[in-house]
Amino acid sequence: MRIIVDGKPIPAERGETVLVAMLKADQHPTGGGCLCLAGDCPHCLATVDGVSYVRTCQTRAKPGMVIERHHRNGQYPPLPTADRLHEEVKARNIHCDVVVIGQGEAGRAAAAAAEGKHVVTVDAAAGQEAIAIYAGPRVVVRTDREMLYLHPQEEIVVATGAAEIQPVAPGAELAGLLTSRAAEVLAAAGIDLGRVVAFGTPPQNIDAELLQGEIVRFEGENRVEAIVMRDANGVENRHKCDTVALGLGFHPRDALALMGHGLPVRTVGDAALEADVPSCPAAGIVCACSGVSVDDLNYTWESGFREMELIKRSTLAGTGTCQGMGCLPYLRSFIQEKGGELQPRFTARPVNRQLTMGEIAAGAHHHAMARTALDEVHRQLGANMERSGGWWRPWNYGKLQEEYWAVREGVSIMDVSTLGKMIISGPDALEFLERIYPTHVRTIRPGRTRYALLLNERGYVMDDGLIGKENDTRFTITLTSGGTSHSEMWLRDWARGWGLDVRILNQTYTLGAINVTGPLARTLLEQAGMSEPLKFMRFRDQEIAGVSCRVFRLSFTGEESYELHHPAEDSVKLWRALMELGADLGIKPHGLEALVMLRLEKGHIIVGQDTDYDSTPRRIHHEWMVKPEKEFFLGRTSMMRTGRIELDKMLVGFEVAEGVPQEGAVVWHDEEYAGYLTSAAWSPVLQKGIALGWLYYQDGELPTDVTINGQPARRVDLPFYDKEAARARA
Amino acid sequence: MNEFMEKKVKLKWYEPKQTYDVIIIGGGGHGLSTAYHLATRHDITNVAVLERKYIGGGNSGRNTTVIRANYGIPEAVKFYQRSVELYQRLEEETDRWMMHKQKGILWMAHTEAHVRQEKARAEVNTAFGAKTIYVTPKEINEIAPEVDLTGGGKWPVLGASYHPEAATARHDRVNWALAEGANKRGVYIHQRTEVIDLLKEGNRVIGVMTNHGPMYAKTVMSAVGGHVTRIARMAGIRLPIRTHPLQAYVTNHYELEFDPIVASTSLLFYVSQTARGEMLIGAEIDRQPSYNYRAGHHLIQTCSFRAITLLPFLRHLRILRQWTGVCDMSPDYSPIMGFTPVEGFVITTGWGTWGFKAIPVGGEQMAELIATGRTPDLIAPFALDRFKKDRTKADRGSAGTH
Repeated sequence: MRIIVDGKPIPAERGETVLVAMLKADQHPTGGGCLCLAGDCPHCLATVDGVSYVRTCQTRAKPGMVIERHHRNGQYPPLPTADRLHEEVKARNIHCDVVVIGQGEAGRAAAAAAEGKHVVTVDAAAGQEAIAIYAGPRVVVRTDREMLYLHPQEEIVVATGAAEIQPVAPGAELAGLLTSRAAEVLAAAGIDLGRVVAFGTPPQNIDAELLQGEIVRFEGENRVEAIVMRDANGVENRHKCDTVALGLGFHPRDALALMGHGLPVRTVGDAALEADVPSCPAAGIVCACSGVSVDDLNYTWESGFREMELIKRSTLAGTGTCQGMGCLPYLRSFIQEKGGELQPRFTARPVNRQLTMGEIAAGAHHHAMARTALDEVHRQLGANMERSGGWWRPWNYGKLQEEYWAVREGVSIMDVSTLGKMIISGPDALEFLERIYPTHVRTIRPGRTRYALLLNERGYVMDDGLIGKENDTRFTITLTSGGTSHSEMWLRDWARGWGLDVRILNQTYTLGAINVTGPLARTLLEQAGMSEPLKFMRFRDQEIAGVSCRVFRLSFTGEESYELHHPAEDSVKLWRALMELGADLGIKPHGLEALVMLRLEKGHIIVGQDTDYDSTPRRIHHEWMVKPEKEFFLGRTSMMRTGRIELDKMLVGFEVAEGVPQEGAVVWHDEEYAGYLTSAAWSPVLQKGIALGWLYYQDGELPTDVTINGQPARRVDLPFYDKEAARARA
Repeated sequence: MNEFMEKKVKLKWYEPKQTYDVIIIGGGGHGLSTAYHLATRHDITNVAVLERKYIGGGNSGRNTTVIRANYGIPEAVKFYQRSVELYQRLEEETDRWMMHKQKGILWMAHTEAHVRQEKARAEVNTAFGAKTIYVTPKEINEIAPEVDLTGGGKWPVLGASYHPEAATARHDRVNWALAEGANKRGVYIHQRTEVIDLLKEGNRVIGVMTNHGPMYAKTVMSAVGGHVTRIARMAGIRLPIRTHPLQAYVTNHYELEFDPIVASTSLLFYVSQTARGEMLIGAEIDRQPSYNYRAGHHLIQTCSFRAITLLPFLRHLRILRQWTGVCDMSPDYSPIMGFTPVEGFVITTGWGTWGFKAIPVGGEQMAELIATGRTPDLIAPFALDRFKKDRTKADRGSAGTH
């Protein structure tokens, strides 16, 4: 087969690595540097099939593989284009007893010793690169085909061996330099190494002249032609050669073990060795990734950078692709020589072997948004769907004005299934809710509801909704769509902490809810089977259009409204029945966009939009629903304390002279900052721009005349529309 | 090839003394910046900066180096805008290269709620001196053509706020330039010097006990990151701070081709390309409070998944390194700076995930506070007693982001 290197095909054999194929074709991926053939050094990096920084010594050649060399013209590789074809990388989880990383002698022995257990072995030589050990413990492994997430119950054995130490001397960037083990591998692969000289531990089965003394430099144009050695008497000798094989000692590959500190990780074999500390080099490149020389180290030391981490950060040695595998032994020997102290190595961090973002993302879950049982119905009606509070909701049905006026003048329905719906039951249900809510829960009579705030311990508003009482041991509560998941945790934490005998049943997903609203809402419901009128803020179980509903009479839109809670599987049936029955009444569904206008006209807040982290009931005009005479409720202590502090700001209503101000717009008074808007809209029924926003007291008073978006505006009392709330209570 | 090596800064180390005018605990950006401004603006040089490990080794050397002022409340916009401007001058002032580069930040909105949020950001920024505008998808495409406006078909981009003055700088170089600037004017920096306890006389801190013995000063400042609640407890103060890990990661080096900083609230990530060509990516804090520096799989897996949704080219980049810092989160997501109920003890903390961008202004203001004995107007809103006074500075513009 052939692989394509910089546009030209070269032959490669099945099972051969890209690097060996390139060396056989007399091509060096990076031009030079001492090759290790073991995935440790940065000298064989290239772009393979569009992915840069691939170690060609760890990559098996495949037919038609495209290799591009890095650092052409001294540049880093270009950013890849977005439209390159890709396949989603698959992930596989494997649960087991033991993971053994590395299948050399020590790794095989460890696997054999664990016989009888479920052992998973991974080996870089077989194309399985362990990239990290994370808490869990979890071992993340990259292969060419997929990602493996290994979950060992008992232990992880790190048997990754040791890396050979790289040479540091002038000329070490030439081609023709090999570690001893690399020389063995290449000779076995049938590559003609020419005249070989060796230093340190020599390669086996290769005819090489073993040199003594110390290395002064390597000489040659692009490829090594000679090595200059200095003997014990200080005499330099030049040895001609085609290849230098260097056995300079070992540096354990223990990054994974260090990463797994505190986890059940055992290191065996060469990976557990003490690192050899080579002699401090006199000259040459120490860090090939970042191009840091011995001179650079001397300079930075003299400049006052004397901690390992500072030297790393100031020279950038160890911050490249090999993450210090090449330079760390020399940094340590350098610092020891200069400062007389062997400093610890820098922290081992993921990733141990490299992988792409596409690979690491494998197995991640798309954060899906919940859909109500009516989702398909909305889409069929042409709704513009929007993510809101963790749900897909209809923003509008393309006819905002019609939707709005249907509510104000006729009848409209809205899917409010997203509301948090909980049953709180048990002997301590009443006591529990009394502690949770700042309102008097015990005065709510059966069949009635009350609007209430939820406060956090700091006395700030966290959520809001209804409390509906069936009896002293069973209540229905509602919460905001976006706040429910947090509020549920809140309720459960306190119930458990207090040790109260209550059950919390979250029915948000099992119950649908449709709000029927508008002056003709009652007419529609009578046609749908509501036998007798329901008073404001009461609820009743009642069959509507053949669906068992719990009907709550309330109002967020300002019009007479009935919220029909029902089994979610009946949502479509109920919705269609209401739409059909309401056809003569001109019924139209409305979306969120109309709702936020309707509620704004009524001055109803949306917790999270109109409130902030510091919103006390007092600051939002909701003091009336807080009963400080109660002995205890969450947030009471803080609220009583802050309640004595002079108010600095209030959430108020504004009317603007012209147009609609921008939500978030700054409110000015006498050219001073006076607050900002949280909600704003054009009011179709009032024919003016209205807004809610925070207004700061100025000299003890709330300003009345302000400027918003360059327009004069006026603070007005809430609500903007139907001040007597006659419509909702009709 | 290594044009990024630090070639100018010189640091000098001295044996510790017994007494100083000011002791600063913590040799990170804020500690060093305060020392630098004490020396350069107030001629106060009998100052010691005590660092448990090595300077800039905490969050000052672990952050994602974003400088911006597009916050959500007037006090913060003014404060960070001052910092943006000080950063623009800092290289010239110190004559040191910090790789400072103006890039602009795009903050994507994928929902109507986030459109409102980004428009609101532009409103309050513009009113208080930070340049931020709301831009349409077409304009986003002109600024950052790499962005997939369909959001992988799942998270379409509806618009963004654009804050052209946002910049990045090399965090280490900022720390070192400030350290050197203080150092050469006489400030002592003591590394590997851990504060074991605070020395008190009545309700007054008079010095610190370190692993090298006691040191005394008229003013002791905590500029500690991560373990600030422990230092404060030594003074007898309980801080409203919870410490959460925050993680980030970088890819290998690529040609400099990606100009802006891109962030998304819905997709919870942000990305920029460093001066050295790495793509630098971060997300939100870990939910669980902890001092743990261990890097986690979930973060890098899900964050990569979200990042390639918006910037598909990232898919093919190889990851170099993942790391963690620990962030001091205040309840209102604003910093806590100034005097404490204990005399002689001042603090600068609550730097959450936004400490780096405030290094110049934080140091400038704290130096003025120490030198003059009064709180400068710019940081008065961020005093510790705001929690007691129910005057918290809730800032959604900073919440859980970089």
